[in-house]
Amino acid sequence: MKKSLYLLAALVLLVTGNMLCWAAPSGVGRDQPLAAQPKADSIAELVARYDSSSCVGCHQQAHDEWAKSIHARSIFGTGRTAATFKTAIINGAMDWPASGVKSPKDVKVEHLQGCTKCHLPQLADATDKVAQEIVTTIWDWDAAMKKDDTDKAEKLEKTLSSLNINCLICHNRNAITHKWSEGYPKKDTVYGSKSGEHMDGKFTKMAKGQIMSESIMCGQCHGQGPNFDQENPTQCATGYASYLMAYVPEGGNKTCQQCHMQESKLGHNMQSYRSKEMAQKAVEMHVDTNSVYWRDNTTIRPKAAVRIELTNKAGHGIPDG
Amino acid sequence: MPIPQQLGKGDRMGRGPYEKSGMLEDTSLPPLRTIITTHDIFFPVKVEEKDGKKISTITSETLDLEVKLWYLPFGTMDDDPFLWKEYKKTVKISTQGK
Repeated sequence: MKKSLYLLAALVLLVTGNMLCWAAPSGVGRDQPLAAQPKADSIAELVARYDSSSCVGCHQQAHDEWAKSIHARSIFGTGRTAATFKTAIINGAMDWPASGVKSPKDVKVEHLQGCTKCHLPQLADATDKVAQEIVTTIWDWDAAMKKDDTDKAEKLEKTLSSLNINCLICHNRNAITHKWSEGYPKKDTVYGSKSGEHMDGKFTKMAKGQIMSESIMCGQCHGQGPNFDQENPTQCATGYASYLMAYVPEGGNKTCQQCHMQESKLGHNMQSYRSKEMAQKAVEMHVDTNSVYWRDNTTIRPKAAVRIELTNKAGHGIPDG
Repeated sequence: MPIPQQLGKGDRMGRGPYEKSGMLEDTSLPPLRTIITTHDIFFPVKVEEKDGKKISTITSETLDLEVKLWYLPFGTMDDDPFLWKEYKKTVKISTQGK
């Protein structure tokens, strides 16, 4: 009898032990980041969650640089980006039989993720109602533009431009790529070059971001090719793939940040070919010409022999796409 | 220019970003490499017939050359073209000799 009780106790311990193992959570701290809070239910709520206006007081220069960059208007762009969202819905989602999108009213967050994974990563932290609000705003903006209703178009542009890649996207939400090894980004912490206390009411701590000056930081969006994690994979920017598979094998050893932020002296105004600084740095062109008088009795074919050397000094193919 | 493959299959180019899932061809400038191209630009000549023979003579001893490196983000000169580099030179051909 006593022996049976011992056996039962051992079995109970074994089962409890197994249950404890089964109960051990994965992704410890996954529920802590700003991204894990209850989903934002409006554009205004989403903007408020990632509101970085309190950064400006101390980081005016970085803010002013950023404001000139396309990161500051990642949904609206020059207007062309907003228009491409519309095209992607009409020519893409609405055309695909299994997408479930028959009209713009059917668009959910998941349908926008082909674009917003990079153009607005924080949309993953919002409800489908926000996706609808974005779609409606883009449609209304487009209609206002076509009617030359400038006031309305500007108002809607302002709404769309309030959705962007701001300080908190890079310095908090997307600051850690390897969350199991380094932990999840904390909602009270900004990640940069220092650690310690941070003079801010909401983000009271600073932590050294392990990838802040590494190319992988930019590679999260400036991409590798089709995103196979999506049900309808798409590829847009492929700069990081070119960096990894072409630039580095050729002996390149600079990071994205070294060229686009430091050597260019553009800081947070990260630019590409439209900036004089980047265009000059990226491509060298040498042309040699030689005039040649080709002749054969009465036939002459004088010509200029032109030799063009183009050297791409950038960390990726030009153009990337 | 990288030519993306429409939905990752076939020979059609994917136009919108939502269609891009492969690569059909890539003629972009590869990083840290030098691409060299040569071109023969002929001087204009006038061809006349004399004594049953065709004789060509040059109409100008100089030729104005322009080399322009354009980036066409949307594939045509009609849509937001970007002039990246430019080179101009006038080359001369000799007028002496047989």
